[in-house]
Amino acid sequence: MNFSSKLIEQAVEAFAGLPGIGRKTALRLVLHLIQQEEEVSLHFAETIAGMRKGIRYCSTCFNLSDEAQCAICRDPRRDPSAVCVVESIRDVMAIEDTGQYRGVYHVLGGVISPIEGIGPEQLQIDSLVQRVREGVVQEVILAISPTIEGDTTMFYLSRQLQELPVRISTIARGVSFGGELEYADEFTLGRSIVARIPYKLQDE
Amino acid sequence: MNESLHLETLRLLHFKNYEDASLTCSSQLNAFVGLNGMGKTNLLEAIYYLCMCRSPRAVADRHLPRRGSDFFRLEGLFRRHGRQEAITAKLRPGKKKTFERNGKPYDLLSEHIGLLPVVFIAPEDTQLITGGSEERRRLLDNTLSQLHAEYLQQLITYNKVLDQRNRLLKQFAEQQSFDAGLLDAYDRQLWGPADYLYRERERFLADCNPLPIARACRIPRTQVPFQVRYRSPLQERSMADCLRENRDKDRLLARTTAGIHKDDLDLLLDDSPVKRYASQGQTKSLALGLKLAQYRMLQQGKNTPPILLLDDLFDKLDTERVGSLLALLREQAFGQVFLTDTDEARVLDLLHSMGAAHRTFRIQDGTASPIVMA
Repeated sequence: MNFSSKLIEQAVEAFAGLPGIGRKTALRLVLHLIQQEEEVSLHFAETIAGMRKGIRYCSTCFNLSDEAQCAICRDPRRDPSAVCVVESIRDVMAIEDTGQYRGVYHVLGGVISPIEGIGPEQLQIDSLVQRVREGVVQEVILAISPTIEGDTTMFYLSRQLQELPVRISTIARGVSFGGELEYADEFTLGRSIVARIPYKLQDE
Repeated sequence: MNESLHLETLRLLHFKNYEDASLTCSSQLNAFVGLNGMGKTNLLEAIYYLCMCRSPRAVADRHLPRRGSDFFRLEGLFRRHGRQEAITAKLRPGKKKTFERNGKPYDLLSEHIGLLPVVFIAPEDTQLITGGSEERRRLLDNTLSQLHAEYLQQLITYNKVLDQRNRLLKQFAEQQSFDAGLLDAYDRQLWGPADYLYRERERFLADCNPLPIARACRIPRTQVPFQVRYRSPLQERSMADCLRENRDKDRLLARTTAGIHKDDLDLLLDDSPVKRYASQGQTKSLALGLKLAQYRMLQQGKNTPPILLLDDLFDKLDTERVGSLLALLREQAFGQVFLTDTDEARVLDLLHSMGAAHRTFRIQDGTASPIVMA
């Protein structure tokens, strides 16, 4: 790509550095901004700079937060005795969207994978053990993806926590709601049969 | 007649030395004839690829497109239990290969394995006898993966966990650190798959004795007692014990030294290791016997004869062996067969003598033209 302007070229390079954005898309975004009022670009730049400068990790759960402690940890209506352990903030958002969970979180920042160069020390594992040691936490819910790396991480975590007086649970795995059995993948269906649960009639 | 499987039409686009070729196959015998290097085996490879999502020879996908091209596409129209199955394989640059069944892409390629059972018999099969243990494990895994989807899943899981464990051991060695708890996490994840794979392999080998098969197939020079014996560390101890006992050794050598990934088949001829005592002829017969055993096991397990691909059989086997194999093809309930040969006259004679429905294709520089019989 030949640019008549050094300024445009620099801006295109900056946009193209973002994931999922190629140079053509970057150029389209830049030209779009040029067509808008100057304020639009300034506001855009300020928003990004402000976000990047202001954002921090919650000192309790390591979720991304505007304050030293995140909104979930500060909320007095949440139950601090239940801690849901997840890989990333995206999982926090997914679980929050369900509206089914009243406890708090702990964000690991990934899963253990020696091949990716991620060991326990790169993750928020010590901080979780420390948090449980303080005594408020009664139950740790492991909501980690059912992959090989996720399983390794769950096993490692449960080992780290086994001496402590805390209940450890994992989220259920199996056939999705509203899905028909014949369309469930074989592996999930097979596991669901093996790990079947007693059928309970709803309490009146 | 419903319990059947065959390929009706095949189309290759930019695959190996084919630019764009289509062929319509016989549901019984198909022969590809032509000089060496013209692309006969590439057709067998394409059929195998459509069934197993990979090349029968350990060839990386990026080497499969035609020279000067960076993509390929294979289309196979199969008929399975009376129903049509349109299978498409696509490889594009910078993308993962994709497989479609009747227009619907698979999420996981492993879901496709076993739909279209296939056996590939090639001259290099003698590696099964003379080569390292991974050759024999590959035959076992290939067969069992086609038979049970669960086997392939467990095998993939085992291998992935093993890779992580080996990387961890290497990191321990490099950083001179150790975390027993983390190693435990990997050990524990290996137990389940190892136990499953061991039981399946053992059960399979108890059912599968190539000697009677070879005899039934009248493969010459297998009059001597031939035995296949499964050998696994799990015969004596659990995977858990196996890993525990070898932990110090594993740390020292920075890899997992014992486990199901070291299993082997002992091939015995008259109670002596085949590798050391078998003649060249016996080696060929035994390799063929093992592959025919695979064919029989797939046929029984799948309730349908697999597609049989016979590569360069006549050049590498003597007439006696080819004769027995063909007698077998003629007499027994074989399904669809594809074979390659350099000698057109020999193949035409042979197909005639077999009295089955057949089609012959002349292969020349990446084109396949049917030979119409007068």
